[in-house]
Amino acid sequence: MENRLKEEARKLLKEGKVDYIVGYGNGTVKFRTSPLITNKEEDIESLVINPFIANNLSRYPTEIKGKLGIVVKGCDSRSLVSLMQDNKVNRDDMVILGVPCEGVVDIKKLGEQIGADIDQAKEIDKEGDNLIVQMDGSKKTVPFRDVIFDKCFGCEYPTPLEYDILLGSEVSPRIEIEKSLKKIKEFEDTDAPERWRYWKEQFSKCIRCYACRNVCPACFCERCFVDVNIPQWITTYGSWQDNLVFQLIRTLHVAGRCSDCGECERSCPVGIPLRSLQRKMVEEVKGLFNHETGVDKDAFPVFTHYEATDPEEFIK
Amino acid sequence: MGYKRIKKDQLNAFLRELSKDYAVVLPSRSGGQVVFGPWDGENTDFLDWYKNTVIPPKALFFPPVEEMFRFRKGEEGYEIEELMPDKGQQIIFGIRPCDARALKIIDMLFADTYRDPYYLRRRENSLLIGLGCNEPCDTCFCASLDISPGQSEDVDILCTDTGEDLLIEAISDKGGNLLSRMSGLSDAGSEEESKARELRKSAKERITREINLSGLQERMRSNFENRAYWEKVSKKCMACGICTYVCPTCHCFDINDENRKKEGKRVRNWDSCKFPLFTRMPMENPRHEKWRRMRQRYHHKFEYYPMNFGAIACTGCGRCIRECPVNVDVTEIIGGI
Repeated sequence: MENRLKEEARKLLKEGKVDYIVGYGNGTVKFRTSPLITNKEEDIESLVINPFIANNLSRYPTEIKGKLGIVVKGCDSRSLVSLMQDNKVNRDDMVILGVPCEGVVDIKKLGEQIGADIDQAKEIDKEGDNLIVQMDGSKKTVPFRDVIFDKCFGCEYPTPLEYDILLGSEVSPRIEIEKSLKKIKEFEDTDAPERWRYWKEQFSKCIRCYACRNVCPACFCERCFVDVNIPQWITTYGSWQDNLVFQLIRTLHVAGRCSDCGECERSCPVGIPLRSLQRKMVEEVKGLFNHETGVDKDAFPVFTHYEATDPEEFIK
Repeated sequence: MGYKRIKKDQLNAFLRELSKDYAVVLPSRSGGQVVFGPWDGENTDFLDWYKNTVIPPKALFFPPVEEMFRFRKGEEGYEIEELMPDKGQQIIFGIRPCDARALKIIDMLFADTYRDPYYLRRRENSLLIGLGCNEPCDTCFCASLDISPGQSEDVDILCTDTGEDLLIEAISDKGGNLLSRMSGLSDAGSEEESKARELRKSAKERITREINLSGLQERMRSNFENRAYWEKVSKKCMACGICTYVCPTCHCFDINDENRKKEGKRVRNWDSCKFPLFTRMPMENPRHEKWRRMRQRYHHKFEYYPMNFGAIACTGCGRCIRECPVNVDVTEIIGGI
C-alpha cells in the first residue's frame, strides 16, 4: 500500500493535479506517525501507511488552500463526505487516496498489554493477526485486536466510502458493536447521581486546551461560541460546569457530523473519555433520524434539512 | 552533610514523619491520570511506575484557575475580600530535575519588578524533594539544556533510587535543616554513592534527543522574517493549547471579573499564545495566522526570555512533543532554524 501511495502521490504532484499531498510520515516519537503535508516531490519518499496512522487528516482541507491529494481511512472519509455535504470543501479540489483500514493501534492499550512503557519497545511489526513487539532482549506477541482503539471494534466502514484511488484491497467490516459500545452501555446502567459524579470528576480535569475542538474536522465554525466574548457564553476559566457545558454544546454542534473517528478522545491530554459522548450522540442520530455521518454523499446534513413529511409528534 | 539513605520500604515512615509538619504532595493517580496530589498516607508505589506527570508542577504554584479576590459593592464603596493562598507548609515529593529547573526559570518572572504574591507565597511555603530520573523517556532532551536527569541544584533535597534504597542528599540549607531533624535515616556508604553516580551517568547517556542551541539568539533573530519557514513548520499544527498548558515554563494568563449584581470575583486562568483570542481583551491579537502564533511561542522561549532574564524558557521535559496530537517537535523546529 505504501509503495502504491508513493507512486500515486508522486504522479499527482508531478502532473500538477494537486498542490499538496496530505498524508502521514513517521513521527519523531517512537511508533507515532505525524501528518505530512508537502508540495515537494522529495518528501514523498517519507510517506508511510502503517497501523499507527491515527490522525484524521480530513481536518486539513478546510484550512489549506489549493488542491489536495489527501490520504483517508474509512472513518476519515466519512468526515470528508460530511464536510462536502456542508459545503465546507469542494470535491473537485481533492484527490482522495483511500486506505482500507484494519484498525489503528492505541499506544496506551499496547503499553498496558506489554506491561511496559512503549518507549522501551525497539520494534513493532504486524504479522498476520498479531503485533510482534521487540523489547530489550525479549519478544512479545500481542493480538492485534486487543490493542486497537475502541472505535475500531465497531467500525462498519473500514474501507473508505469516497475515494479516487483505493490503495489496497477492501477490508470487510469488523462490526463488534457490542465490544465497541461496552463502556457506554456499562455507563448507562449506572444511576443518574453516579453519572453526574463521574462527569464532574472528568470535567474537573479539563484544562481548556481546546484540542478536542481543534482536531475535530466537524468543528469548522469560523468562530467557536467559546471564543465569543460579547456576550460571553462561558467563562474563560475552567469551572467543571462550564467545561461540561462547552463539551455538551460541542457534542450537539457536531451531531450528525461526527464520524466517530475518536480524535477528540485520543488528543485529550488529561484523558477525558470524550468519545463516549460523541458515540452516544452517533447512536441517537441514527435512532432518531436514520442518519449515519458521511455514508451517503447525496444525503442532506441531518440538522440543516427539513421535509414536510417529517414527524412532529413532539409539537403539542 | 554527606549522603543519607533509607530503605525504599521505609519511605512510608519517612513521609509520615514529614506529614506532621507539612502537607505532602506526590505523584498519584487520580481520575485516570498521573498528577501531583495529596499523599494518601499509605501508598509509596509510585516509585515503581512514576515517570512524570502530564500537567507540570507549575500548576501547584500557578494553578490553572485561581480566585484572586472577591468584591462587594457596599454603602461606602467596594469591600474587598482577599483570597491569598494559606500559609500552610507543603512538600512536593518526586519533582523531576527538569521541572525543578522550570520553577527557577519562572521565578525570574513572578519575582520581577511586579512580585506576584500568589505564586511567591506558595513557593516560599514549599520545600522541593526531587527524584532523579534513572530512565528518561524517549521524548526527553534536558541534557541539551544543561540539566542532568539524575541531578539537580534546583531542589531542596534530592533522592536517587538505587534499587533497594533511596539515596538522600541535602541540596539547600532549608533541605539540610529538615534532614538533620529526621529520624530513620542512615549514612550512605561509598558503595551507594558510587552506585548513584553510575545511575546518573547512565541516565544522562540514555538521552538521545537533542536540541541545537548553538548561536541560538542570532539564528532566531535572522529567521524571524522567514515567513516561508514558519508557514511550513506550522502547517500541521492544530492550534490548540496543549503545548503551552503542559509546558512547565509557559506562564501566560488572563484575568477576568465575574460579576453578579453587586458582587463578584476576580479570577485568573492560564492563557495560551496559540489561541486567536489571546490578548484580545486589552486590544487586539496581532497574530491572526497560526504561523505567527507558533513563531511567537518559540521566540518567547528561545529569544525574548533569554533577553529578559538570561535563561531559555525550556527545560527539555519533552511534554510538548509527547502530548501534541500531531507530533509537532520543538527540537525539529529550533534545529531547523
